[in-house]
Parts: sequence; structure tokens; C-alpha cells
Amino acid sequence: MHDAEGEVREHYAAVHSRLTSLSAEALAERQKTLERSFLLQGVTFTVYGAESATERIIPTDLVPRIIPAAEWRTIEAGLTQRLQALNMFLADVYGDQRILMDGVVPRELVLGAPSYRREMRRLYVPHKAYANVCGSDLIRGQDGRFAVLEDNLRVPSGVSYMLANRDAAKRTFPGVFQSSNVRPIERYPDLLLATLKSMAADWRPNPQVVVLTPGVYNSAYYEHAYLARLMGAPLVEGRDLVAYENMIYMRTTTGLRRVDVIYRRVDDDFIDPLAFRRDSNLGVAGLFNAYRAGNVVICNAPGTGVADDKAVYAYVPDIIRYYLGEEPILPNIETFLCREPAQLSHVLANLDTLVVKAVGASGGYGMLVGPHASAAEREAFAEAVRADPANYIAQPTIQLSTAPCLIDGRLEPRHVDLRPFILSGEKIVVTPGALTRVALRRGSLVVNSSQGGGSKDTWVLADGDAPEVRP
Amino acid sequence: MMLARVADSLYWMGRYIERAEHVARLADIMLTATLDRAVDAGRTQEIAVAAAGETPPAPGALPMQAARRLVFDRSSAGGVLSSLARARENARQVRDQITTETWERLNLLYLKVTGETAVDLFDMGASAFLHDVIADLHLFRGAADATMSHGEGFRFLMLGVYLERANLIAQLLEVCFGDGRGARSSDHVAEMNLLRMACALEPYLRRYTAEIEPRLILEFLLFDEEFPRSIRFATARIEENLGGISRLARGGGLTAPDRLAGRLKARLEFADMEELRAMDASALLTDVVADCARIHDAVHDAYVAYSLETRLPA
Repeated sequence: MHDAEGEVREHYAAVHSRLTSLSAEALAERQKTLERSFLLQGVTFTVYGAESATERIIPTDLVPRIIPAAEWRTIEAGLTQRLQALNMFLADVYGDQRILMDGVVPRELVLGAPSYRREMRRLYVPHKAYANVCGSDLIRGQDGRFAVLEDNLRVPSGVSYMLANRDAAKRTFPGVFQSSNVRPIERYPDLLLATLKSMAADWRPNPQVVVLTPGVYNSAYYEHAYLARLMGAPLVEGRDLVAYENMIYMRTTTGLRRVDVIYRRVDDDFIDPLAFRRDSNLGVAGLFNAYRAGNVVICNAPGTGVADDKAVYAYVPDIIRYYLGEEPILPNIETFLCREPAQLSHVLANLDTLVVKAVGASGGYGMLVGPHASAAEREAFAEAVRADPANYIAQPTIQLSTAPCLIDGRLEPRHVDLRPFILSGEKIVVTPGALTRVALRRGSLVVNSSQGGGSKDTWVLADGDAPEVRP
Repeated sequence: MMLARVADSLYWMGRYIERAEHVARLADIMLTATLDRAVDAGRTQEIAVAAAGETPPAPGALPMQAARRLVFDRSSAGGVLSSLARARENARQVRDQITTETWERLNLLYLKVTGETAVDLFDMGASAFLHDVIADLHLFRGAADATMSHGEGFRFLMLGVYLERANLIAQLLEVCFGDGRGARSSDHVAEMNLLRMACALEPYLRRYTAEIEPRLILEFLLFDEEFPRSIRFATARIEENLGGISRLARGGGLTAPDRLAGRLKARLEFADMEELRAMDASALLTDVVADCARIHDAVHDAYVAYSLETRLPA
């Protein structure tokens, strides 16, 4: 909110003056009203405890984060470029494998990744759109530039919180919102539906789209139901679907009804017990065969995980150059691959300054934050890295930028990251907004909701007459 | 057309909502009755507990304990809290199919009865607490009626409500008039309480004046065409909603549930009060309960758990 000289940045002026005009009590009251409304609406995620799963609201901060139009143009162009290249990469590694033959990305890194699905080889994916919904995590570095921390191409969550936060922000600060020229994000559900429909076979007019959820006990169930409701698509569970003669049907009160596109919010491993994990009862036996036969579309495509593998991440700038012949617009974070002996010894020698992550893990699990770890913890982690170097990468400890948050009625800086949502079907569309995740504990860098993080609304400003992008 | 599982959830949601309201009312009437003479209190307590399908309380048990059990005991399947929890769980399953207005009413009520202060609030003023629960359930019904599309989903919801209602009122009457009790002349206050348990006191008084007679109560709660808690009214709605469902889902033609509902409706429409008085009401009430169970099974077979072989696409 403030620049280096302590002056309020121009695009924050209106919000700043509104916030400072309210008493601490008034702010706290608004915060409480907001939380009550989230609880009432059921905007919750599920926390798994020892005894039972309980529903909690994601702690939400009232103070919006504001991104000026020019800055957003860079983000939008950078993300579009990145997803375009990643989709081409996926089409290639499941197709001719040119990039592997040309030695740009090591063959064993891709083909040996647990997220690589041999079953996807030589399979036609419409528009080469593998990652139909992508939620990349961006951070702003010390130099003020945004960089990509991680690409989430499997089943990224959070878009419902982005929309719920916007709804709340409008009700909490209607005046400031109205005068701020914020770009609307409310079209996300219909853009998502259009994207999903664009993936259906041409010869199926008015395709039937469904949202596949693991069920009410999944931590993101609220989001699944929310998107289904706003798209007007049935929210189905595995038990509602059946495969029959290589086609997928849902059980309705009128009998079986054909399904064309499945927006699945279930991981690859669980979508089809015949093709993948046998012990899964979340999926549909025979789904993968129906998919291979071209009778149903699965979004995101199975096997996209290989492109957001933490080791493949290090090669994304090269991937962009290789397919598009362009320089990456958004930089990567410097990344050391422990599979390379020279980089491994660098990592082991500098554990106290690095963040080390297991390649396959997510959600803030399986990582070591060097500067915050004890010597014993670092030694134990070093042991694990030495035992299986290929499974680890390391990055410098990044000082996430901060944004002002309302903490006990006062404004305090907290570390944040940014998760914009990108849709890719016939076209690539970046929603002009994002989920800003906040590390609510003072000094903490962990923004994951499963680890005590919260979120806030993100205002992307329009400059004058910015046209809305349509798919 | 809707998912079979969704139809099932909406139906159960309706049943649990109706049950929560009924049991909340039983508990309230029971507690208020105990403020009066002890003999009636005992009888009213017996009726309430039995009508809720619970085991009779131990002799000497305080009405407050019995009421707390009816409301908060999660292990009792028919309790208010467990019914609300199940209704809400079903609502969560079909969150994409019900409106935000409808969901919020139910969620708010659920948060209220499961909140940390709920039991204290109940202990401080049970009657006010239960009154609020019932009023909130009416708001839920109102929100559903006013905001949901009155299509297949709404009909499954209402089918659940009325099937449960027919069942509950039949059970209540059975407790009071079964086993040849119909002939027994009974206490005026206990009869008023019976009418209150069916939410029927005021409509009854308008129809029959303050002459409260067991025969007239039975007639009113079994056969009245216009009173929403009479069994006849409920069975007419069951038939109507099933008819709507089969028109929407199957494009017309009578289904097994339709036929069963039609027969139950006719049984009540053409029953003769004089004849009924000569025997006793027990047989009819038992038939009503059994018919409700048959309709429930038939609905499940026709719309939810049908075998796939019979419904393969052409």
C-alpha cells in the first residue's frame, strides 16, 4: 500500500482513506459481519481432525489488494504465454516427444515422473488444451516484478473464494469499490462452462457438462457445489455415473442420461479404478476407456500433472523458448535440481538459506524452510535428499511481498501470494482477478489454507475502456 | 430429469425437516403441560414420547430431561437435533440444486441448535427456544416455496414432507386412540394438548367450537379436507406430488408409487366416520402407516435404486 518513501501509492488512495476513516471497532464489526455471512452461506472448507471432519471458514481479510492495469497486462500476457507453452509441452510429451529427443528437457525426468500417464500416449485432446483450468501461484519479488512460484495444472482450487471475497468486498466497501474502476470477475462460471463445452466433440450439439466431486467430505466441496450451481451443471459423484458400451451415463430419475464433458475435481489416481488406483471408490470404472474412445471428455486431462512437476518447473522458461521462440514474460524462481550432482552439492552446502521441496508433494507438505529449521531438522532432511536426490528441488528463500491486512482492528503487513485463474479450451482466457492468499501469522511465509493461511479480494483496475475478453 | 441421488436427498431432506418440526412441537407441548396438574402432565408426557417413537421415560423422570433428550440427543434417530443435522447433510449434498435462500435458512438453524450456547439457551427458556426452531422451519418452508423452481426437485422435497407428516400424525393418533382407546372419555386438558401436538387447536376450535370430543378430534385429524395436518390432506398432497413427478420424469402414465398413493387417498376419501366409530380407528391408522412405508419403498425402486438393465439407453 505504501511505497519506499512511506507515501500511500496512488491506486490505494481511496481504500486507504476509507480504512483510516473508520474506527477499529467499526472495522472489527465489519470483519465479524463478513465472517458470519461466510459461515451462513457455508463458504467453508473441511479440516480433518482426529475425531471428525469439521467445517471452517477460510479466514478472510477485508482489505483488498489492488493491482494496476499496466501490471495486470504483464501478468495476463505472461500467464497466457506460459499456459500455451505448457499445453504444447503436454501434447508433445504424450505425442511425438520432440522436446525430449532434442534434449531440451531430460527424457527420464518426464517419463520417470509419477504424474506421467503412459495411458495418455497418442490420445487426441481437442485444441491441445490439456490444462483447461490452471491456477498458477505468483509472487512479487524484491524487485517488484511478479514471478511464477508454481503452476497448478491438476485440479486447482480457490476460485470460489475469489468470487466470495469479491461479493463480500462489494457489500463491505460499496462506495470505494464503485469509484475504483475494478474489473469484474463474475463471469468466471459462464466462461468456465464455455471452455468446458468447447472441449466436447463437434457432433454433440449442446453437450451435457457435469462437475465430478469426491463428495461432501472433500475439503473443497463448497467450491465444487458452488461452480456446479453457477454453471447450472449437475454435481455428480462417482456413484452417479456408469460406463456402458464405452459411453458415460448419469443415473437420473428418468433413467440413464449421456454425459459429454466431465469437469473432474478428483485427482487422476482416483478417476477410474480400472485404469488407475484399484482401491478408489470415488471414480467410475470404465471412464478412461470411454475417454480414449472419444465418447467423453475429462477436464483437466489426465496426466497434466507432469507439467507442474516441481522438477519440470525448472525447465519451463526453456519450454517457452522451445515452442514459442519467445522470451518468458514472467520469470521463474531460481531452482536447483538435486538430481544434478553439482546442484545437489550446492543445495546440501546451503541448506540454511534454501527452501527444499519434495517434487511430488503439495499443500505445504514435505518441505524444509532452511532458515527457520533447526540444525537437527536440516540434517534429517539432508539425509532424505541424499537418499533420493531426484525427488527434491531447492529454491532460495523468497521474501514474499506483504500487503496490509486487518489484524485485531489494526492494519499490519502480512506476506501474500497471488493465484490467478486461467481457462484454456478453444482459447485461453485469464480472469481479471485472483485469489490473494495471506499468511496470517506474523512473519509466517505459509499461505496454504491447510496450514493456517487466509485470503483476500484482489482488485484488478481497468484503464479507461479495457475491453472484456470473451472466449 | 435430475440425478437419482439428488432426488433421494431432497426427499429425505423433506422428511427430516417435517420430523424436526413435529418433535420440537411435541417437546414444547409436553413441557408446557407439566406446568399444569400432575396427572395430565404424566399422560401428555407419555403421549409425546411415544409419538416421537422413543422408549417411555423411566418413572419419575423429569419432563425437562425427557425434553432435552428429544431435542439434543444425537443418538436418538428421531430427535430434533439429529433430524436437523441429517436434513442439513442432505441439503449440503444437493447444495447445487437448492437456492441460496433455502440453504441459508436451514444452515442458520443448524448452526443455532448445534452452537455452544444452545443447551444453555434451552435450559433458560425451553419454550422460547423451541418456538424459534419451529418458526425457523416455517421460514425454511417459505424460502423453499418462494425461491425454488416448483419442478421435480421441489416435488420430491414436498413428497418427503407430506409422507413424513401422514406417518407422524397417524402415529400420534395411534398412541392416543389405538388399542380401543377411542371410546375412552378422557380429560379436556389432555385433549387440548393432543390438538396442540398436531398444531390443530385453533383450526379445530373454529370448526367445532370449544366442544372438544375425542370423536371429533379423530374426525378432524383423519378426514378434514382443508387442514394441512390432517392425514387426508397429507395423502392428497402425496398423490399430487407423485403425479407431478411421474409426469415430469416419465412423461405420464401411472407408476407403482402413483397407484399406491391413489389407493391410500381413496381409502381416506371414502372412509365412513360412523363405520369407523363402530370398530376402532386402530385398523385404519395401521393401514395408513403401512401404506406410507409401501409408497416410500416404491418411490425408491422407481426413481432411485432402479436396476440399470431396465433403464439402458435405447
